[in-house]
Amino acid sequence: MPELLEQREQLQATMTFLGAIASGIEQAIGESANSISYLAGKRLGMQFSEHAPKTDDIEEALSFVGKVLQENDCLWQFEPFKVHNRPGVISHSEQGDEVMLVFRECMIRQSLFKFGHHQKGSLCNMMYGFFSGALKNIMGKESSLEILHAGENGCYKRLVVFKKS
Amino acid sequence: MIHITIHDKACRGCQLCLDICPTNVFTFDAAAAKATVAHEEDCIGCLSCSYLCPSGAFRHEEHRIVKNFYRDCEFLSRMEKFL
Ligand code: SF4
Ligand code: SF4
Repeated sequence: MPELLEQREQLQATMTFLGAIASGIEQAIGESANSISYLAGKRLGMQFSEHAPKTDDIEEALSFVGKVLQENDCLWQFEPFKVHNRPGVISHSEQGDEVMLVFRECMIRQSLFKFGHHQKGSLCNMMYGFFSGALKNIMGKESSLEILHAGENGCYKRLVVFKKS
Repeated sequence: MIHITIHDKACRGCQLCLDICPTNVFTFDAAAAKATVAHEEDCIGCLSCSYLCPSGAFRHEEHRIVKNFYRDCEFLSRMEKFL
């Protein structure tokens, strides 16, 4: 248990440090901070999922992403969510497959709150990058993760996995 | 499933909860000028309605409260057994 406590302390310290840096960068360079965080997240996603299994099934791919996060001690817990008027968890369009995701425990949100930084900023964009990198490895496809709502106790996002062109 | 109650007497009909809810859980009862819960099953437990409501009219049950990052190392060590 002391090891777990130490991990948690390290995670808190790293994330609050990142939160402060991201907030500072946003003020200094504005919009470009989003691209920097996206690219950092994408690199991390690709790196962490390097040995993850491959699949074409989006739900299976999401469970692999969850496992990759867990194995790398990332506190980013998410689950697919279906509201009553959607026919299924996955909806198909011309663009590709769409899934709504709910993020509950999130080390980014928790570190942002600690110092009163805004949500939906560049650090939140890191998650978009992470998914993009991990799904590229796992499914071989491009994807986007749009924040529809950033709440105090949970966030709601739209994941689109694009068809291969 | 999350259970939501709106305290009928507390609601002042401002509709802030309808505006903020990402999954459209609420409808507005125009006759009574009050918010009502229409699709409880769609609640993701973000608690934004609860934070925003000027009347503190909400009560959520069966939802998961996200564990905060602790500011005090003493509290963090006390949390050890729950991590
Ligand atoms: S935010 Fe509160 S007071 Fe306003 S309509 Fe909703 S329940 Fe009523
Ligand atoms: S907790 Fe969030 S999802 Fe649930 S009713 Fe309130 S605003 Fe809507």
